Amino acid sequence: MTPNQKREAESTQLRLEGVTKRYESGGGSVTALEDVDFAVQRGEVVAVVGPSGSGKSTMLNVLGLLDEPTSGSVELRGRPVAGLSPSERTDARRESIGFVFQDFHLLPTLTAVENVRLPTAFLPGDATGRARDLLERVGLGDRLSHTPDELSGGQKQRVALARALVNEPAVLLADEPTGNLDRGTGTRILDEIRGISDGGVGVVAVTHDDLVTEYTDRTVRLVDGVVGGA
Amino acid sequence: MRSTDERFPALTLAVRNLSRQRVRAGLAALGIVIGVFAVVTLGLLGNALSLAATEELGGLGNQVIVSPAEESGAETLETRDLAAIQRSADGRGTVVPLKVTGGTVTANGGRTVAQVYGTDRPQALFGEGDGSVPAYHRQGAIVGAEVAAELSLRRGSTVRVEGNEYRVVALLPEIESISPLQPDSAVVLPSEEFAAPGFSQVVVRADSAADARAVADEVESRLNGRQQRVSVFSLRSVVDQISEFFGLLNGFLLAIAGVSLVVACVSIFNVMLMTVSERRGEIGVLRAVGIHRSQVLRVLLVEASLLGVVGGAVGALLGTAAVVVTATQTDLPLWAVLQPGNVVVPLGAFAFGVLVALVGGLYPAYRAAWEPPVEALRG
Repeated sequence: MTPNQKREAESTQLRLEGVTKRYESGGGSVTALEDVDFAVQRGEVVAVVGPSGSGKSTMLNVLGLLDEPTSGSVELRGRPVAGLSPSERTDARRESIGFVFQDFHLLPTLTAVENVRLPTAFLPGDATGRARDLLERVGLGDRLSHTPDELSGGQKQRVALARALVNEPAVLLADEPTGNLDRGTGTRILDEIRGISDGGVGVVAVTHDDLVTEYTDRTVRLVDGVVGGA
Repeated sequence: MRSTDERFPALTLAVRNLSRQRVRAGLAALGIVIGVFAVVTLGLLGNALSLAATEELGGLGNQVIVSPAEESGAETLETRDLAAIQRSADGRGTVVPLKVTGGTVTANGGRTVAQVYGTDRPQALFGEGDGSVPAYHRQGAIVGAEVAAELSLRRGSTVRVEGNEYRVVALLPEIESISPLQPDSAVVLPSEEFAAPGFSQVVVRADSAADARAVADEVESRLNGRQQRVSVFSLRSVVDQISEFFGLLNGFLLAIAGVSLVVACVSIFNVMLMTVSERRGEIGVLRAVGIHRSQVLRVLLVEASLLGVVGGAVGALLGTAAVVVTATQTDLPLWAVLQPGNVVVPLGAFAFGVLVALVGGLYPAYRAAWEPPVEALRG
């Protein structure tokens, strides 16, 4: 291993090796991912693009430890996750992975601060201070105790970004982060994401928005479950 | 709010979730309110009725009345019969020999026909009344409430019974409980005032129901061995049957009330099922951001239990209040409702209400918490 390769391995946050995912459906089986190799490094923003049905969401779910591959291996910070119990996978998600969804998925009954500290709700200690700081960082210092229905789409997505960061994750996984936003607001979110990756977080954004690819270091094209390269 | 949140995150989340669908949560809790209310009112009323009835009948069950058997042809008990009864009742109660006849009573220009009892120990038989009924009766007449009212008698009045004049030394209180004697319409004289020497009845006031049974059995075996000399009358078995009836009635009432709690359970089940299917996505997010299945389960079970806690508390309070109000408005004595032992009823009903809600929430909560997050997020 050359020093260069070693440095790269150390900074690899999440890696898929030969990952295949098949779904059994109505007699036949559908291959969503076919022998996918993929890695995201610290501080890197990767866009995964492709037509709908190409397996982007499946790939994101496998990366996020929400779904298990049929074959192949997933490594989180150099550790294989194959043998983890559901409870250990849950802990791994909370400790290392931040999620941002297309339709924000904030809890409507909670305020912005409460939504941001939700991942820590059942942990000892109070993350309110950190949640407040994160909201201030994304420019929502004046919306701390607003509930989601009092926020605009862009504001909701920024709350979701703050929530994804509350546990200082190694990787941020974003599923169409700008999908429900207008261009101006989308740009604002992508600036935030860029800033987050500059802080050392690896970012994977699944999208078919060309705007997103302008902000990424690398674009991976997925067609029919196969990585087609840039 | 900060500190409760930190300590009971499940409680905070559950309260927020319930407050989102107030009407629905209220209706689900109402089911529990009705169920618990029914259990509390029927349970308390049943208990109070049974207590009140036992109290009324208690004295009756403790009495054994011995009189000459019809087959013997005798009108009175002999001295040796009396002695045998005395020995049987020794240490188990008080023996009161009684002479009974009927007679005309006149006073203040009025006349009436009354039972005339002859006994030396009126207090043992008729109670203390207002304290004026003497333990031993040597002279004068003690007058029952009805007779006293009819002839306008007071203590110190003069009354004429079958031609003899007596001074009224005491009035018997009106009798509220059931009794084989009829003291209200009676005049009680010292037994010496009767011409006949023998006693027509012996009343044994036993110390307890068990003593009454023992006395009755022993009198039977002592006196009715070879021939039927006396008839022994005890209402013990009647009292037992009445108690048994109240036990059955209570069980039946509680079963009816229980049915309404089962219905409440179904309604909680239904509401929780609706709730979790509406919140599938949210629950998926919780799981994605690192909340464990058991923690999601806890939030949902706290939600269901809260419906039970609120509904159960309201139902128990309303039910108790309703029974207390009923007691003050009817003949049901309040003491029978406010027995310390009755606390079990509202507390038990409350606990049952919470349990029912918890059971109703169990399956929906389990199903939601164990659903793979990928599927929940998909929608």
